[in-house]
Amino acid sequence: MPPGPRLGTWNLEIAAWEPGAFVVRGGARKNNMATDQQIKAIRAELAPRSDDTEARERLAAIVNSSEDAIIGKSLAGIITDWNPGAEALFGYTAAEAIGQPMTLIFPPDRIQEEAEILGRVARGESVEHYETVRVRKDGRRVDISVTISPILNREGKIVGASKIARDITERRQMAERQKWLASFPEKNPNPIAEIDVATGRIHYQNPAMTRLFPDLAVRRLGHPCLAGLLAATEALRHGGVDTVRREVEALGRHYSQTITYLRDTNCLRVYATDISERKQSELEIKSLNAELEARVQRRTAELEAANQELEAFSYSVSHDLRAPLRAINGFAGIVLEDYSQQLPPEGRHYLERVRQGGLRMGELIDDLLAFARLGRQPLHRQPVDTALLVGEVLAELNLPATGRPIETRVQDLPACQGDPVLLKQVWINLLANAVKYTRGANPAIVEIGSEPRPDACVYFVRDNGVGFDMQYVNKLFRVFQRLHRADEFEGTGVGLAIVQRVVHRHGGRVWAAAEPGRGATFYFTVEGGPP
Amino acid sequence: MSDQGIEILLVEDNPDDLEMTLRALRRAKLANHIAVARDGVEALDFIFGQGAYAGRPVDQAPRFILLDLKLPRLDGLEVLRRVKADPRSALIPVVVLTSSKEQPDIRECYRLGVNSYIVKPVDFEKFVGCVVEMGMYWLLLNHPPHV
Repeated sequence: MPPGPRLGTWNLEIAAWEPGAFVVRGGARKNNMATDQQIKAIRAELAPRSDDTEARERLAAIVNSSEDAIIGKSLAGIITDWNPGAEALFGYTAAEAIGQPMTLIFPPDRIQEEAEILGRVARGESVEHYETVRVRKDGRRVDISVTISPILNREGKIVGASKIARDITERRQMAERQKWLASFPEKNPNPIAEIDVATGRIHYQNPAMTRLFPDLAVRRLGHPCLAGLLAATEALRHGGVDTVRREVEALGRHYSQTITYLRDTNCLRVYATDISERKQSELEIKSLNAELEARVQRRTAELEAANQELEAFSYSVSHDLRAPLRAINGFAGIVLEDYSQQLPPEGRHYLERVRQGGLRMGELIDDLLAFARLGRQPLHRQPVDTALLVGEVLAELNLPATGRPIETRVQDLPACQGDPVLLKQVWINLLANAVKYTRGANPAIVEIGSEPRPDACVYFVRDNGVGFDMQYVNKLFRVFQRLHRADEFEGTGVGLAIVQRVVHRHGGRVWAAAEPGRGATFYFTVEGGPP
Repeated sequence: MSDQGIEILLVEDNPDDLEMTLRALRRAKLANHIAVARDGVEALDFIFGQGAYAGRPVDQAPRFILLDLKLPRLDGLEVLRRVKADPRSALIPVVVLTSSKEQPDIRECYRLGVNSYIVKPVDFEKFVGCVVEMGMYWLLLNHPPHV
């Protein structure tokens, strides 16, 4: 037999029913027999409704089709009604639930809620949208929103309660997620705000923004702050760009703002980052750079001044020192030319010495100037064919003209990177020295070669000349320093100083090895190695 | 000094160099018509007939100018610039005779249109030889345009 309508406040189900007669299920439990009083009450209840069957069936259908759980319970807290919505929500069938205490679905920690609810119902109060937790048959907890209303009988007496419960697990989870998401802007230490372009109203500002501008909300259109924002976002609001970034200063701090535009709502979203520290660092770097730049400029100016002084000095030496020399030399020459007859041989000899001294000083000045020029001359690096260069120098030295037997042995010479003019001077000085100091050798042998090095070209010039004592080697490359007497070998003592200066300017090294009477070898490197 | 038929204008402030130059030219019989200016201003006055040489006709130009670079008041480079910039004197050959071997000096002189640049040798004999050869060349061998 299909279940018939239930009698609201009675724990009875009408099993079969026709006008004048009905069969009920449930009710008094003791003897399973309805008491007279009950029957009277049922009759009273059914009588006026029996005409109303259709309406009642409609209501029953509504209750049965509701997704919300609709439950009836007695004042004692016993479940009397249990719709399919309740079955779905709590997992118990109507047969399982009806007759059970309402606490069937209460989690242990919320049992006390029932007494409170029943108390309120007994007082005729309703409980609306009460959010709580219940336990399903399978043990899962479910968040529900429940509305509980007292059920009155015909006499207006409270006989039970209806309970409409709705699963709000999803809603609660969504609310929690929303809260969680909202915590991102809320807890963001960087200020965030959304501003309505049309009204200047602030739709949202996070606490960081509020801390920064406690009065931001009262700013409206026309406020310079907002006017500035609108001006800065002109391009953004009229399309073309997706975001605008700008830097602003507020209350002594610097912020970088990234602004996006929401076309649908005509709103600007401002995301600000405090960049004060970065700004401070930038300022410091800037000031340090400026200071450095100033220092470099000062040093450069000093260097330029020093260079100019040196230039002036060279010019002065070149010009002013030569003039008196010319006078010494010239007038001594004139005396020798015009008054030679009146002079005793000794006088002529001394005058000749005066002239020679002047000439010697002229040479020293010339070499010194050449040496000074090397320091100022800019270096023009380019590939240098060393073999070709050495060939040129040897040809210019015109060895056959010395009338001496000189044998040159030129090995393979790798190319290098350097200033060909200056490197040529190095080769001239080294080879001229080799020729000069082999004057006593027969035959003189001058060897020119190179030693392989991974990062540089090492060249050498070896001779079988007079050599020198290695204990004086440190004097060798100094200006005007000589290891031989002027009457043995002529020279000013500048040649090797020039060699060293040129090699150093090429980032190279120069050194020598020698033994008195057994020749000398001069080595030098040119940084960078073969081109 | 008569400035009629002047062949060389010698611009030199150093009395030693001046004396030696004149002596060398004299010995080579090249010193008959030499005018001497002791600084740049005097040189320009002579060339353009102004100042101390007011009234001297500009068209009586020397055959060539022997010019030192380092001079009191107006230096040799400035004299050279003005001589070469003025159409009345631009065609007069200018020979710089100086102690300076400095490249910037040499380059600047050539840039300004110098006709010859000679470095004074320290050695007396070379100096004499140099002055004489130079005088011979510009007075006898060289054919200048008519100014």
